[in-house]
Amino acid sequence: MNTNDDTAALQQAVQQACDTSSAINIQGGGSKSFLGKGGAVSTVSTLNHTGIVNYEPTELVVSVRAGTLLSDLTKELAANGQLLPFEPPQHDGATIGGVLACGLSGPTRPFTGSARDYVLGVRMINGQAQHLRFGGDVMKNVAGYDVSRLQIGAYGSLGLLLDASMKVLPVPQYELTLVSTRASTDDYSYIGGLARRALPVTAAAMQGNIQYIRLSGTEIAVKSAAKQLEGDIDSDANAFWPGLRDQSLEFFNTSKTLWRISVAEYAPVLPLSGDWLYDWSGAQRWLCSDEAPEAIFAAAAAVGGHATRYGTDDTALRFQPLTGTAQRLQKRLRDSFDADRLFNPGQFHPEFDSDQEQKQEKTSS
Amino acid sequence: MNTPISVVLDNASEESDSQQRQRCVDGLSALLPAGLMLSSAEELKPYESDGLTAFRKTPLLVVLPETIEQVSAILKWAKTNQVPVVARGAGTGLSGGALPHEQGILLGMAKFTRILELNPEHGYARVQPGVRNLAISDAARPHGLYYAPDPSSQIACTIGGNVAENSGGVHCLKYGLTVHNVLEITVVTIDGEILKIGSSGQDCAGYDLLALMHGSEGMLAVTVEVLVKLLPEPPCTRLLMASFASVEDAGNAVGEVIAAGIIPAGLELMDSPAIVAAEAFAQCGYPTDAAALLLCELDGLEEEVTEQIENASNVFTRCNASKLHIAANEHERLLLWKGRKSAFPAVGRLAPDYYCIDGTIPRSQLSHVLKQMAIWSDEYKLPIANVFHAGDGNLHPLILFDSNIPGELQRTEELGSKILLLCVEVGGTVTGEHGVGVEKINEMCVQFDQDALLQFHAVKAAFDPQTLLNPGKAVPTLQRCAEFGAMHVHHGELPFPELERF
Repeated sequence: MNTNDDTAALQQAVQQACDTSSAINIQGGGSKSFLGKGGAVSTVSTLNHTGIVNYEPTELVVSVRAGTLLSDLTKELAANGQLLPFEPPQHDGATIGGVLACGLSGPTRPFTGSARDYVLGVRMINGQAQHLRFGGDVMKNVAGYDVSRLQIGAYGSLGLLLDASMKVLPVPQYELTLVSTRASTDDYSYIGGLARRALPVTAAAMQGNIQYIRLSGTEIAVKSAAKQLEGDIDSDANAFWPGLRDQSLEFFNTSKTLWRISVAEYAPVLPLSGDWLYDWSGAQRWLCSDEAPEAIFAAAAAVGGHATRYGTDDTALRFQPLTGTAQRLQKRLRDSFDADRLFNPGQFHPEFDSDQEQKQEKTSS
Repeated sequence: MNTPISVVLDNASEESDSQQRQRCVDGLSALLPAGLMLSSAEELKPYESDGLTAFRKTPLLVVLPETIEQVSAILKWAKTNQVPVVARGAGTGLSGGALPHEQGILLGMAKFTRILELNPEHGYARVQPGVRNLAISDAARPHGLYYAPDPSSQIACTIGGNVAENSGGVHCLKYGLTVHNVLEITVVTIDGEILKIGSSGQDCAGYDLLALMHGSEGMLAVTVEVLVKLLPEPPCTRLLMASFASVEDAGNAVGEVIAAGIIPAGLELMDSPAIVAAEAFAQCGYPTDAAALLLCELDGLEEEVTEQIENASNVFTRCNASKLHIAANEHERLLLWKGRKSAFPAVGRLAPDYYCIDGTIPRSQLSHVLKQMAIWSDEYKLPIANVFHAGDGNLHPLILFDSNIPGELQRTEELGSKILLLCVEVGGTVTGEHGVGVEKINEMCVQFDQDALLQFHAVKAAFDPQTLLNPGKAVPTLQRCAEFGAMHVHHGELPFPELERF
């Protein structure tokens, strides 16, 4: 693994953006272009800011620079029998900064928690080119607002992430997958109840009418739990989970538009045409569909959820539009970190940046 | 000679206080039904402090709304009239987060005590903010479920306060803090707007405001409803107690048990002074000859727990444990916990006064920090007892002193400062779980630099530009950078002495 502290150069790049009022797109490995990119002309890369800053396995904490490849970090943790508990997608070339900025978590999310759950602290640069440190390397810390967790899933719109400290956990000693066939493709009720069973379930999904349940933990607990659950042990099915995590299963290879719809696991079947895959016990629903974005956003909102469009087309809406108080407040929050919209303008909820665009248009015309 | 002047000043401010009070009463009377306001001196008295009784202030008035709409009306009025508002739950907090503002309204949420919905099938409870932490688990238990975070004051503290402080508990190493167990909250902003934050699903659109709200100490908005996650009760729970001849060995054993891939549900360390005091207080069967004691709780499926107890025992033996003991039954398990949970009042009997510190450190620094504290303890001739949430690095050194000896309080404060500074120095924090409130506001200046503090103020301004919500708490102004503080307990008189303190 390359180790290089590029803080000074990154801070200088943001300072220059600040001084010249010119926006920048923050980029790591560029592996998630299907989640959009900012509307700036120039790009600042975090790829030279790499390496593990601090890793003490018995502390269950790792601090790592944003440009570090997720694959490198995963390898280093595995060498010590540990892992990132939120099972981040391992897209080719992905950096830890990108994973956290996008707030991505894998199939284990409803059982062991999300990316933000495991973040303990960050170092970052805000829109005034100030170098800031929030949180730390310890599990319990209530000093100041939790600005660290706020960065997770903010798509870099609040600042450039330099380093993050995360809680890590031991790799489970043993793992198996149970497979069974449900009566219908919409019957996800069984996986929906698994979080209420005191069993070491770490993933539950349904594709078509095939139901997959993963158990992880001590061998003795996993084997005992397998007997209490529906389905047969299928060692071939172990490969299903990485494919689901990275959206590399055949299901995701579609000519239609891919949507991620996040709802309560017990939300009803949504009235949208297309092909469905239920992950997260039914709380994360993948949909390949030709329905209009408005219809999809409306269907998600109707059950208290939200939708995200995957794909490289940056002309259409990608995130569930926010309105009213939620929009006003979050826009002000973006103001508080990046008043001049230097970071990734227009990428994350363009409604936060709309006035600025108008302002810029006015100035240029 | 100065007395007359101060009397004159006091009278002047008193007069203006009563005018202000009348203005608030008149204004709010027009918006609220009768009987929701307290404004006489004797009515205000019980609200003058929270669990940190060293700080006391009398609010202009106390308002006890009954509906979300009333909370909204009160906040809107406060904003229009530029009156500060301090929200309060059960008032059990240890850092003065609910200390009233003398020119402000104390917004008591004590009437919001209903569990609105408990859904065992889908594993959630929708509750009002004044519902007590333990009441949620009590209601869920018949369904085999519980609410995981268990702060020590859980029989009295309320869920609204838990959100404001991001409360933990002895089981947070495995089950997380409040932020990990709340799905959605409803808040009222200072503009009187009602907003849902979070969702019934696993995430929501936009920024993660749910994370930001947790631990924000009532500075950003007022929580009026909380949707919490309920977990299945583990089928089997067992407690392993290990004694050690040195604190270093015990600290090392904590790291080794985690290195072995075991995540205990709870992992607590006590040093000799704490063990002796707790045993004298609770007669729970602690080995009083040990230099350090570990309580290691494991839960899960029975086969798994049996195996892990054996693994943990082997690790402790390898780490020079002088004695191992597994609680024989549920009665003994609870008794062993009782000793740990009564450590604060137990230590309180050893000296007229003690200071409690709430720093968190990386576990690898434990030995170093304990050694340094022992050196300083000798140097200052002030004994220190240590209880430690070893699993997550949260250290509670209790400095014993006598405030009747001239200068001893001052020396204790100085020693406390040194210890907190050391916590920050080794990569930790000045507060792991008790919050900043008013108590540790000065220490924030050491932990955060000027730019970070300014960013905190900018976040606050996004929600509350006039700083009317809980002004003066949690984040210091740049002008305010002085010395450290710590919880001062006089003659063992803990606020809420009936509550367990970890």
